[in-house]
Amino acid sequence: MATASSSLTTSSMFTFPPTYSFPPFFSPQPNAQTRSAQLSKWSSLVQSYCRHHRIFKLLLSDALESPLFHNSKLKRRLSAHDAKAVVDYMTSKEGDNRAEWIGPATEKASAWIWWRRPEEWAGVLEAWVDGTGQKGTVLTLYELVEGEATESQEFHGMDMEVLRKSLGTLVKKGKAQVFGGEGQEGVKFF
Amino acid sequence: MGSNQSTPKISAQDRAILDMKNQRDKLRQYQKRITVITDREKSIAKECLARGDKEKALLALRRKKYQESLLGKTDSQLEQLEKLTSSVEFALVQKDVLYGLKQGTQVLQQIHKEMGGLEAVEKLMGESEEARAYQQASNWQVRILIFHNWEQEISDALAGQMSNEDEDEVEDELERLEQETVVLPKVSSQGLGHEVVHDAADGIVADHELPDVPTSIAAHDPERLQKQRERAKARKIALHA
Repeated sequence: MATASSSLTTSSMFTFPPTYSFPPFFSPQPNAQTRSAQLSKWSSLVQSYCRHHRIFKLLLSDALESPLFHNSKLKRRLSAHDAKAVVDYMTSKEGDNRAEWIGPATEKASAWIWWRRPEEWAGVLEAWVDGTGQKGTVLTLYELVEGEATESQEFHGMDMEVLRKSLGTLVKKGKAQVFGGEGQEGVKFF
Repeated sequence: MGSNQSTPKISAQDRAILDMKNQRDKLRQYQKRITVITDREKSIAKECLARGDKEKALLALRRKKYQESLLGKTDSQLEQLEKLTSSVEFALVQKDVLYGLKQGTQVLQQIHKEMGGLEAVEKLMGESEEARAYQQASNWQVRILIFHNWEQEISDALAGQMSNEDEDEVEDELERLEQETVVLPKVSSQGLGHEVVHDAADGIVADHELPDVPTSIAAHDPERLQKQRERAKARKIALHA
């Protein structure tokens, strides 16, 4: 089932990086240079964690309770304020645009985590369609993410929103066309 | 952003296929739901049995059986739908192929027309064959011509080295020398003094006997010498012919 929110099912063990066991990692560093390095490390951790658990949308409230921001062994955790700062960093250019806040900026309750950007997903999708000789065939969005044919693929079970976004990049380039009624969309790759 | 002209349009056939595929997806989703239910009923039945409630377990199994029959029905519907979708897609492919064949045939016909049609081609082939045969025949003639020319050049070289006066002077000297010596002249053998003329391409074409240079001069046989000289002159004439 496609997970829209952050269902933190640990399918296989996620190996945390060594900094995760380093207590200062959870406290915002005063020194600018160290701070920058710290944020960058957090960004990588968030990305790999989400990639492992196939989380596309991060719900902050849930994340704060999860092993991602809460190291129970170390008894250290990231505060809501600091977590937001991490995601803010990830949304910036410096953070490589690896996150996107959802909803009004005042809320900052959930965010897209682009451990793979929509354009990058578009490339994966395109490669699969090309490899299976399905260029020029009509495919439903549903079968792309839920169909039997894509079970072995990375994008299987992907969030529908993310799929739409990545297809959108292809439409802009003229490499695909999305059509059909709401909730019943189809796509044709060229 | 306005309409993207580079993107091909979505045809009505595409939409029809999308509809069919959406229906297929709906059936699949329905099947998934049913499977969830049947699994649940199965686990309920197990629990009931564990509790010793046989009746409830039986009820659960009956419900499961009913759901499974629905599943079977949707299976056959799904199969029909998928067959139809495949047929439509296949027909579209065939339409494209047919169009391609038509295009190709038209182009071929056009090219044949440009070549001037079948008669023109046959005529040209005939003419070309004629020209080729002529060329081969004239090739031999050219070779013979060249050979004759060469023969001429050789004889000219042989004979033309000396002018007529020189020739007479040499012959006078020869007479004088003849009178001086007494030794009998040797008969020239056939083996000496052959000149072989080669044609560059075909090998040996002719064998000529050069006029023999007498090995010694006989004073007592002027008649023989005269004969020799006459023979040499005759050969020269023969070469010139």
